[in-house]
Amino acid sequence: MIRALTTVVALGAAVVLLGACDRGGDGPGAAGGRSITVVIADYSKEHTKPFWQGLSEQYTKQTTIKVDLRIIDWNSIDQQVSTMIQNNQRPDVLNLNSFSSYAKDQLLYSADEVLSPRTRDDFIEAFARGGEYQGKLYGFPILSSARAFFYNKDLFARAGLAGPPKTWDEFVQAARKVQALGGGVIGYALPLGPEEAQAEWAIWMWNNGGDWKSGDAWALNSDRNVQTLRFLADLANRHRVTQVNPGKTNRTDGAFQLFKDGKVGMVMGFSPLAVQLDADKKVSYGIAEMPTATGRAVTLGVEDYLMAFKKSGNQDAVKQFLDLYYQPENITRWISAEGFLPVTKSGLQQMSVNTKLKPYLDALPNARLVPTTDPAWDRVKLDVQQNIGAAVQPGGDPKQVLDQLQKNAVAAAGSR
Amino acid sequence: MYPAIALVRASTSRYSVTGLYQGSVGTANYARLFEQAALPTVVANTVVWVVVIVAVTVAVALALAQLLNEDFPGRRLVRWALIVPWAASLIMTSKLFVWIYDYYFGILNHVLLALRLLSAPVDWLGNDSTVMGAMIAVGVFVSLPFTTYVILAGLAAIPGEVYEAARVDGASAWRAYWSVTVPLLRPALLVAVVLNVIYVFNSFPIVWTLNDRNPGFAHDTMITYMYKIAFRSSLRDVGLAAAVGVVNVVVILLAVLLYLRTVSWREAEA
Repeated sequence: MIRALTTVVALGAAVVLLGACDRGGDGPGAAGGRSITVVIADYSKEHTKPFWQGLSEQYTKQTTIKVDLRIIDWNSIDQQVSTMIQNNQRPDVLNLNSFSSYAKDQLLYSADEVLSPRTRDDFIEAFARGGEYQGKLYGFPILSSARAFFYNKDLFARAGLAGPPKTWDEFVQAARKVQALGGGVIGYALPLGPEEAQAEWAIWMWNNGGDWKSGDAWALNSDRNVQTLRFLADLANRHRVTQVNPGKTNRTDGAFQLFKDGKVGMVMGFSPLAVQLDADKKVSYGIAEMPTATGRAVTLGVEDYLMAFKKSGNQDAVKQFLDLYYQPENITRWISAEGFLPVTKSGLQQMSVNTKLKPYLDALPNARLVPTTDPAWDRVKLDVQQNIGAAVQPGGDPKQVLDQLQKNAVAAAGSR
Repeated sequence: MYPAIALVRASTSRYSVTGLYQGSVGTANYARLFEQAALPTVVANTVVWVVVIVAVTVAVALALAQLLNEDFPGRRLVRWALIVPWAASLIMTSKLFVWIYDYYFGILNHVLLALRLLSAPVDWLGNDSTVMGAMIAVGVFVSLPFTTYVILAGLAAIPGEVYEAARVDGASAWRAYWSVTVPLLRPALLVAVVLNVIYVFNSFPIVWTLNDRNPGFAHDTMITYMYKIAFRSSLRDVGLAAAVGVVNVVVILLAVLLYLRTVSWREAEA
């Protein structure tokens, strides 16, 4: 069946390609020399490159179009993509964690232009909505992940705690009891340094009933949010249940490292952390829902995107590439290998048999996304990453920090 | 030449967040640069960063070169060992120091606590009063090999007869050092200082890696400031960053010219 399907797709691709060649002249070269540039972020050394290389070879076999594949690490991808666009050497297909600025600059094809209806209809609705700009789908979901609450079972047992905290009050009590064990044990690892502060902040914010925006307007300094940031500052400076300098601690080499070393009672993690913990076999951990102050636990869902850049004569080539990636066996094979979560209905169905993923898949319906659909988000995110940590340092002023972030967000929304 | 022209052109242009060119803005980016609230802090950081590293490096390298110029058993081994920090990649060295300085796992706190030089661990990279010193120490560490070798070459070029003449005239060892060695080392020192100033000013990986946990611009130098303006702050402004780049080139050229003029002027006086 799959073989027959592949043949049909290949034939279809060949016909489309011949059609494209007929038009001639417009493209970046004649049939033999045609190529597309595909830029993919490096999710892991083991899986990212092999998968996309294989997919590219398959694509070239089917279409004779070559693929210039570039796998770029997360630290430098913003810079490299910006340079490509400055020099008018845009990629044809780009994978990134933001899309709306590119849609706003009118650089992208919409889903109607480059996705087959079957692919479009397979997206999980929430993720499709997360890729819309002005009512049209430009950011095609490539994969997703969800955060979960990790706790160290041994430390919890030693502190006499029966289970993970469900409310903020229980959370503070648990953190104090773990911290009281002494010997350098830390209640909660709070990473508000520049690496991923916006994610940590979003989870606390939502679980106190706050949000990034109110309607269409930014609402970073709402009373709720000020209350939340004061709560986090109190964890650090009044209750003293966090690691040293939480406003200057990053996630990967800070909070996660401490949890992996068994020094920490609780941390907000995600599936790749579980993979590392399972490999180390040093910490016995449990996974639970986020503690909440509102009675309804919310977690952060993260969606990354594929975008198709408008260039003359590349539409069919790009369409075939995207259709190949979104074939259920391809997308699901890759997402499973990387340890992330599905973005398609067919993928959700296939992956739900994996019991390891159950806590995250269960959390997915309650997951909320950060406002990537707003082009101002790219600036707001960086501003939060760079500045929110100052609020939880000794002498920091949460209200003042949020007021400044709000001011900058309003300015970013107004700028071009 | 092309990169320089491209940089100047970019500094007079406006780009969107994505990097898309949106037209020329004349000198507006320069005007905006001088309005940035963080600029005075960053300039002060840069001056401290360059001056302290170059001064300490040259002072230590003078002593080290003197030592390596003497004949002693194992000299060859020490000379080779000195090359290591130079040969290792700056990013790897910086990551290594991140772990050395770590509050919980770092060896520095362990050693200082064991020697009772500290009563409690210090968050070297998170504490506002220690982070610059911690970065400067790494800067000196990686600048030493090159500087020492330049000075060592200078020492080797001084003929033995002048020391003999000094001894005959009854000069003490210190007197010979100050009146013979130092003046004759002047060309080597000149090269060491000029190249180090340029090199340290333009150094990116150390500050970037050791300071990556700290919010804002409080410990950035002009080079990391430029990168943050372009890609890591809410400004996300390639045009403004290019203006910083142009200012950087001009400042470093002026600094080097000024230094060379001062030095040759003193030489004329002597």
